[in-house]
Amino acid sequence: MSKISQQDLESLLDLFDRSEWREMRVQGHGVELFVSKDPNARLADPVAATPPRVAQVAVQAPAATPAARQDPPARTEVPGTSGTLHVTATTQAHWVPVRAPCLGTFYSAPKPGSAPFVAVGQRVTPDTEVCIVEVMKLFTTVRAGVAGTVREVLVRDSELVEFDQALLLIEPDA
Amino acid sequence: MPEQDRIDRVFIANRGELALRVVRAARALGMESVVGASAADRDSLAAREADRVVVLGAAQARESYLNAPRIVHAAVATGCTALHPGYGFLSERPDLVELCAEHGITFVGPTAAAMRQVGDKLSARALARGANVPMTSGSEKVANVEQALEVAAGIGYPVITKASAGGGGRGMVVAHSAADLITSFDRASTAALEAFGDGTLYLERFVEKARHVEVQVMGDGEGNVTHFGERDCSAQRRYQKMIEEAPAAILPPDVRKRLHRAAVQLLAGIGYRNAGTVEFLYDEARQDFYFMEVNARLQVEHPVSEEITGTDLVRQQLLLATGRASLPEQKDVKIAGHAIEVRILAEDPDRDFMPTPGRITRWEPPTGEGVRVDSAVVAGTVIPPYYDSMIAKLIVRGRTRDEAIHRLAAALECYVIEGIPTNIPLLRFIVAHPDYRANRIDTRWLEHTVLPAFQAKQE
Repeated sequence: MSKISQQDLESLLDLFDRSEWREMRVQGHGVELFVSKDPNARLADPVAATPPRVAQVAVQAPAATPAARQDPPARTEVPGTSGTLHVTATTQAHWVPVRAPCLGTFYSAPKPGSAPFVAVGQRVTPDTEVCIVEVMKLFTTVRAGVAGTVREVLVRDSELVEFDQALLLIEPDA
Repeated sequence: MPEQDRIDRVFIANRGELALRVVRAARALGMESVVGASAADRDSLAAREADRVVVLGAAQARESYLNAPRIVHAAVATGCTALHPGYGFLSERPDLVELCAEHGITFVGPTAAAMRQVGDKLSARALARGANVPMTSGSEKVANVEQALEVAAGIGYPVITKASAGGGGRGMVVAHSAADLITSFDRASTAALEAFGDGTLYLERFVEKARHVEVQVMGDGEGNVTHFGERDCSAQRRYQKMIEEAPAAILPPDVRKRLHRAAVQLLAGIGYRNAGTVEFLYDEARQDFYFMEVNARLQVEHPVSEEITGTDLVRQQLLLATGRASLPEQKDVKIAGHAIEVRILAEDPDRDFMPTPGRITRWEPPTGEGVRVDSAVVAGTVIPPYYDSMIAKLIVRGRTRDEAIHRLAAALECYVIEGIPTNIPLLRFIVAHPDYRANRIDTRWLEHTVLPAFQAKQE
């Protein structure tokens, strides 16, 4: 999946709904998701320096009642009241995705426990190694391909990535 | 984990109509499916109907459907318990079977050892010899043209060269004389080397007027093998089948019985597992059949056997591989009626069968009693240029061969495909041909009789 689908959103909401969490914030895949069981909660300005175009989509989602929060197993039997979900798109149009050269497992660091190849905010050149994709113990180094600044890592470590999937976002130098 | 608690999830390492069939068969059995697709197939019907699709790599087959490490990696990462290889691509590659085994994935097909045994043509011949299955007189591998001439003199002309490492017409050249053999031997060896990475050739006596008949079998891996009748696939162009039917109506009942027995014996001897086909040449004049090769996988033309036996072979493959059901007993396989399959190809018979990839703008397959279309195409589908040109299989069934032909002709008449040229005009011509109607054909009839007549008619 290179994009967050309706199904993914529903699963996330379901997970949140069943949890004891009061708020959930998900970032990645070009989408930022913020849900809260407090109807008055608002997401803080996501990128302070240069506010991106923000698309706020209101989605009707079941929210937990206070009783449910205290007693999660009984949750499903308690009909929830409606709350509001804010989906905030923060991706800048000119950011360049670094894509997976093939299907495999994504690793952000050369080996477990060591520092990642790159961190958000780091400057890269086209030759900078940004991650590796492993297929059956065969490791392919992925390079930035563009000079700029790493803005986002879209994939978690050791997650399956598909061919052509966006792995990182880089803001190219002007 | 106990068998009944396990959720089976099958990975499909293939594309097109077969991928779609496996997705549907899995769903019908309550199994989940994951399609491993190339970038060109990420929106295919199979991908859309599967529980999940993962994109393996770029469109080229070596980046996707021929890339065993990526396929098995994807199968493991998506939690699959079984892998269906389909036909073509990696379906007959023992290394894929072994890679699956190393990662605890059930391969829906034979063992690697059985695959090797029947996959090498020379060892397959040795196997057939051991099982007393008749063969054309032939040779062990021949190293060079001098040795080939010596061997050919012993067999008697005409002879045919064959590649030890594979079939499909690569490395096959018919020589009617020593002079023929001298000019063609190196060419055949080079073709085999290019196709299979192995230029080893052997020689067989060439049967001039032969039918291609083959027996569909399934084994349980423990020495039990059941057959699902035979097929006649004599209508071929360049060793590629274009029309297949079941049963082979030319076979006298006693020959048919011997043919089935030969196929079963051959594979029972090696404890063959899952679906396979044993191919034979049938010499109509002598009423003798000769072993050709074993295809250690499901074949394109399996639907005609499904139609005459009422067995869903893909479902049966999944049942056997996952241990949910045992092999049907021979007495429970009932054969009735006649079925014919034609391959609808994105090829232009008016331009020397040039592939015609492109967007299909109109797609109206025939429907009706006894008519089945196996395809993964709808209006708007783009036929990519990277793979095989087959876009659909039209299968008809009738009580008799005549009834089946009648239905086939009618179905072909109303099959509408627009956007790309296909071989449908040629198929209509073949089915109307008096030789085809009378079942007077052999493996070279299509090329020698039909194509010249078809081309003359078009001009």
